[in-house]
Amino acid sequence: MIEPQIRALFAEIAVGEPACSRVDPRLARRRGRARLRWRRACLAGSSVLAAAAVAALAVVVGPVRPGSGPPAAGPAAPRQFNPLIPYASFGWLPAGESFVSGGVTPAESYMDAGHIGPEWSLDVYARGQCHLTGSARGLNCPGSKLQISQRAPDIAGHRAFWTGPGIAWQYARGGWAWLSIPAANLSAVLHSKDLLHEVLKIAGHVRYDVTTPLVFPARFSGLPSQWQVHNISYYVPDRGLLRADEYMLTTGNSRFHPHVGDLGVWTDAPYIIAHPRGGTCTPHDPSSQNTPLTINGYRVVLKRFHIGGLPVQELCGAHADGLWFDIQMFGAHPSINVASLFKDHMRLLGTNPANWTSKPIG
Amino acid sequence: MSSGRDAEYTEYVTARLSSLRRLAGVLCQDWDRADDLVQATLTKLYVHWGRVRAATHPDAYARAVLVREFIHERRSVWVTRVRLSGVVADSPAAAVDHDAVLDLRAAVAALPPRQRAAVVLRFYCDLNVDQAAEILGCSSGTVKSQTARALEAVRRALGPASAAGSGAQPAAAGWAPDLPRRPRP
Repeated sequence: MIEPQIRALFAEIAVGEPACSRVDPRLARRRGRARLRWRRACLAGSSVLAAAAVAALAVVVGPVRPGSGPPAAGPAAPRQFNPLIPYASFGWLPAGESFVSGGVTPAESYMDAGHIGPEWSLDVYARGQCHLTGSARGLNCPGSKLQISQRAPDIAGHRAFWTGPGIAWQYARGGWAWLSIPAANLSAVLHSKDLLHEVLKIAGHVRYDVTTPLVFPARFSGLPSQWQVHNISYYVPDRGLLRADEYMLTTGNSRFHPHVGDLGVWTDAPYIIAHPRGGTCTPHDPSSQNTPLTINGYRVVLKRFHIGGLPVQELCGAHADGLWFDIQMFGAHPSINVASLFKDHMRLLGTNPANWTSKPIG
Repeated sequence: MSSGRDAEYTEYVTARLSSLRRLAGVLCQDWDRADDLVQATLTKLYVHWGRVRAATHPDAYARAVLVREFIHERRSVWVTRVRLSGVVADSPAAAVDHDAVLDLRAAVAALPPRQRAAVVLRFYCDLNVDQAAEILGCSSGTVKSQTARALEAVRRALGPASAAGSGAQPAAAGWAPDLPRRPRP
């Protein structure tokens, strides 16, 4: 009987669990939150992609400065955000807490901050993305329906509402922001003088119309003019530059398939991940057909597999001048294959962010 | 998204982290891969936290997510973002060690993911056939056949000694090399 031996083996393996774990629930939470936002952005933007793509690289629409006075009469929020420049940033955070990561889409600029444990999470929406329900009992934003509990103190002269453990305020005409508070519930916030003070101070110090551009570790050139950058995630190590590490290029033929995989996927739209933090390419991944290649002097792995019936190409390089990168492209008939995209159009810019670019295409 | 959700999630995964990690370790037979698998699972649990919370047995749901993630390593877009960075160096697959092939650990490690998952669910998690089928998303008959094939493959790998009932015992320490697998045609 082999079964008892297998049981004994499994028990032995389990007992040998190393004490030191690389698993990071905080990272998982952050990734999960980014994924939910990513999907939300895709669902919100898929039908108007072409228009959004054109406008995305244009100058932000309309002057936006938070001001006092009745919100309806104040300056308007931008109808779309420039995805290459995060629209908002934290202006103040409690001692010991700092910005963790963020993202920007034409409809939303979001960011998380914290230290250990649950984090502050800020979502700033473009004009027209959120709507108060008729009875002002709720605020409907893309992908989330915030239930309003009660009126909160004004934020920088603008009306604000408590929503669960969070506060929503109208930062400009037609534009709403929402700060998720790291507390179990609203009651915990309202009964803690210190936490309440922090919440109002963070919300009141949010900066809008920020002009600090993201920097990208790769530049694409020679692409058709309709190619655009979308849905960018970024981080800031050691209070340095805003570094983009994940984004998507849309080609003009890109289409969102909401029911493929967990989050939905875009076809004919390369997903780019590139950063100097290291990583693996699992060149012997049994779940895909793998081909080791050398392209432009870089050792890479080309993988082919399927997700939800869609063919996928992936090109991964683990040691590309100190960068780790990965390009995924979904769909049966993409405009270009990932190997050609990397070989003919993509230039890696090394590990020094000072040499990175704020113009990822061009 | 809310901090209430975050607090609940954090409390849950903190309490279950070790058991998920052990299950991943048994499935992967490699603690680095196990950590990547658990990391991916935790991210997925966050994304689907509403379903986890609403599940009759949240632990069974979490276990199912982990096992399915193990079997279908690349079902999600941005799959690479969950890999933990900077710790595991790229290295070629270990060369075939014919001595290790005889080892029980190597024999189990060589099982295809579905078969490995089936025997882990049956013999590590002590699930019955129906429970394993629910997690694997297949019929009970498939679980039975996958388990039978897995046991047969292990017996074959261990040779006649195992058939006679005096087969290999678990190795005392260290990981047997994961056998190189042929890419899908």
